[in-house]
Amino acid sequence: MDYKKIAETVVKKALKLGADEAEAYLENNREFEVNVRNGKVETVKQSMTKGMGLTVFKDKKLGFSYTSDFSEKALEDFVEKTVQLSQIATPKPWNGLPDLKKGKPRDLDLYDPSISKVENNKKIKVATKVEKIALAYDKRIKNSEGGWFGDAESEVFLVSSKGISRRTKSSAVTFGTGVIAGEGDNMQSGYYGSSKAHFKDLEDIEYVAREAGKRALEKLGARPVKTQKVPVVFSRWAAPSFWSGVLSALDGDSVFKKATFMTDYLNKPIASEQITLIDDPTIPRHIASTTFDGEGKLARKNTLIDKGVLKMFIYDTITARKAGVKVNTIAQRYVYKGTPSGSLLNVIVNKGNVKEENIIKGIDQGFYVKGLRGSGTDVPTGNFSVGASGFWISKGELAFPVDGVTLGGNTLELMKNIELVADNLEIRGGLNSPSFKVSELIVGGK
Amino acid sequence: MNIYPHPVHSTLSDSQLGQEELKELLAIAKQNGGEFAEVYIEHTVNNNIGLDEDKISSARRGVDMGVGIRVLHGEKTGYAHSDDLSLDKLKETARVAGLIASGKAKQTDFDLKKQKIPSYYMVKTSPDRIVPAEKAKLLWKANSTARDYNKSISQVYVSYSDSNTEITIANSEGLLVNDVQTLTRLIVFVSALEKGKRSSGYAYKGGTLGYEHYNLELATELAEEAGRMAVAMLPAEDAPAGEYPIVMAKGECGTFFHEAIGHSLEGDGARKKTTCFWDKKEEMIATEIVSLADDGTIPGARGSINVDDEGTPGQKNILIRDGKCKGFLYDKLNAKLMKTKSTGSGRRQSYQHYPIPRMTNTYLMAGKDNPEDILRSVKKGIYISQIGGGNVSPTTGRFVFSVPEGYLIENGKITSPLKGIQLMGNGPDVLKNITMVGPDLEISGGGTCGKDGQSKPVSDGNPTLKVSKITIGGAKVRG
Ligand SMILES: [Zn+2]
Repeated sequence: MDYKKIAETVVKKALKLGADEAEAYLENNREFEVNVRNGKVETVKQSMTKGMGLTVFKDKKLGFSYTSDFSEKALEDFVEKTVQLSQIATPKPWNGLPDLKKGKPRDLDLYDPSISKVENNKKIKVATKVEKIALAYDKRIKNSEGGWFGDAESEVFLVSSKGISRRTKSSAVTFGTGVIAGEGDNMQSGYYGSSKAHFKDLEDIEYVAREAGKRALEKLGARPVKTQKVPVVFSRWAAPSFWSGVLSALDGDSVFKKATFMTDYLNKPIASEQITLIDDPTIPRHIASTTFDGEGKLARKNTLIDKGVLKMFIYDTITARKAGVKVNTIAQRYVYKGTPSGSLLNVIVNKGNVKEENIIKGIDQGFYVKGLRGSGTDVPTGNFSVGASGFWISKGELAFPVDGVTLGGNTLELMKNIELVADNLEIRGGLNSPSFKVSELIVGGK
Repeated sequence: MNIYPHPVHSTLSDSQLGQEELKELLAIAKQNGGEFAEVYIEHTVNNNIGLDEDKISSARRGVDMGVGIRVLHGEKTGYAHSDDLSLDKLKETARVAGLIASGKAKQTDFDLKKQKIPSYYMVKTSPDRIVPAEKAKLLWKANSTARDYNKSISQVYVSYSDSNTEITIANSEGLLVNDVQTLTRLIVFVSALEKGKRSSGYAYKGGTLGYEHYNLELATELAEEAGRMAVAMLPAEDAPAGEYPIVMAKGECGTFFHEAIGHSLEGDGARKKTTCFWDKKEEMIATEIVSLADDGTIPGARGSINVDDEGTPGQKNILIRDGKCKGFLYDKLNAKLMKTKSTGSGRRQSYQHYPIPRMTNTYLMAGKDNPEDILRSVKKGIYISQIGGGNVSPTTGRFVFSVPEGYLIENGKITSPLKGIQLMGNGPDVLKNITMVGPDLEISGGGTCGKDGQSKPVSDGNPTLKVSKITIGGAKVRG
């Protein structure tokens, strides 16, 4: 199928039916996934999917539809219904497609043509091997949630009535394993995986397997502690969850509605001077990078928090126009099934210059957080409360595993109380942070 | 009422996938020796309208159409799907799914027999036939009612959504089933702001319900309930942290049983021995006043199913009876491997997914304790009006739930509202601490459950009950 042509036809048809502006966002994807358990293949899944989202504006009213049915009749119905749908919406002066600069997106090397040439048997071998090594890691590991391997290729076309026509292709590949240590009432699971844009960049199988095994083992015998106020270290594994809560409070439209506790903090300090937080979706070959975003804007780097000072909120074209600010951040789509909304793609908290082990050494009694249940930040109030697991720190060492506790406080206070930032930043996914120490926080337990 | 003159066009009805074609696809899927083959055809239309800041902010429609073909061979599953319904593409899809097996085709002679199925949906008027402008009236009514409810109401968000899913399932055991699953939901969400204090409230109705269940009176009712909750929570104080007895109000706390208990009783975890209850069948895992059911046959409930996504009729399954673990929820594959029968729990998000064991409508069954006595029995504790989002590990049963509406109980009476309540603990422990259960079971409007990357509509319910002690994580340290 000529997808570009289909997208163009749909846009033309929408204009013909009376739309003032129209934009088609079309995706064509291929996916493969295998799951093995206890050395045996359990599932193999292969798929080809396509779909298109159509946005129309008529008299400043927005209509949106999507479809995976590309037959001629269905597409006609699709365009008609979308234009009709726009008519029940309320007109808004800020509605309309973005004004995009023409020009070629940068090639970020996000597509690995070799992935589709890797034989399925080789993929199955990776999934089998990673599970096998994890199971053999320690004799207390008794059971498996399985090993997996998956890869995907995605092609995106964006065509708008403003003369924009863009296309990009990307790939993703992932593998990992989950194992269970212990027995009876004392079972703990540990997962670890590696996800990259290129097959060759995947982490070592042995390393991934050992990390999964380690995670299950280290939690064995975890217990709550008494409620107390102590220094808390957010490890680089737990920190991304925390930052995602902070970022949800930076949504531009929530600021406009004064629905977030961050509303009045633009250009004011919100965190310790050691915190600089950027969004950089332009890192070559990185799985969280993109050449253009859900609105067709070329990707670029933004600084949200600069040495503790809040520098910008998160907007898409429409929320930015509504608030009367210049568009800055990335707009993301939930595949072709949604309209773009302001977002961040590849968040990086800059690293500090302390070794994590030295941070721990400096704490007499404290809590080292390895996992959070949720992000913890209540956006309207800034109250922070979240379930956590990790290790108790005693006399500068990780003493015993802890689970079933909560961390509580105020998000702004917590960020201002960040005393030390470690040097252990690793860019693995879309949210990357080094470990950091908060001078004191309530650990709620028994 | 304004309705579209004709049923909506669907490529599916044009695709001419008749019984002969389905049989041919099943035969191709089995040509490598696979033991079982299945074709799942889906056409879903969903509609959503949102109102925010006194404006209809979104009006959306979506069509998902495709075919998923599954081949089972021993413990192995081969799955492939296509959104191109041409017979050639579907034959290729069947071939790819069949590659999970390697050998010669076993006998593939069977006849497809169309099954009669019961109906648990309460649908007279399909919502996809109602024009969007008609649905928008519900939103405007809820918006104005909520704004008039109280001066402190500062934001109102209303959302109406519906979906209509036509499925056809055919398998190499000769099963052929059609079902049309309709879901509708109206949600009102409000924020209140007064003297710098903020709170929020919500109310909703949803289910396998036709559009005839939605009208302006309902919109008014939901808006007032959302307003009531937000105003009630405005003066809320930080919750105390520590261990307390709690009383859960009827109807809106069932999420707890779904998340913290139900997921540990799903048959895939039981087979893999990865959940905390896998070896507890016929053992006491709760106090003897605890009985838990998963029932896909409640008329109109959001999790109800005439058939599951493998064509097995929906049914009522008792998971815990009088404290004893009675069994697990199974799809076909896990049932076969555990040498038992499917419990009608094989569900999938769409044609792009293979079925896995899932819950439908999960609830704590009614008991005998008077709800007033339950409240009176608590000297100092927490009253949970509704449970919000949660996070649970099925391996350990450990959970954290937020509580959007909760109050202090002092000397058997509900007193001041509390914010930031977090319920913490693990499922097995809580089951052993349920000391009173009322007769007043109520099923909620339900929500959406996520598992292994697949979302599915479910509902849950509970009568008034007491948990003798549970850990409350809150911002305030006791003492
Ligand atoms: Zn669930």
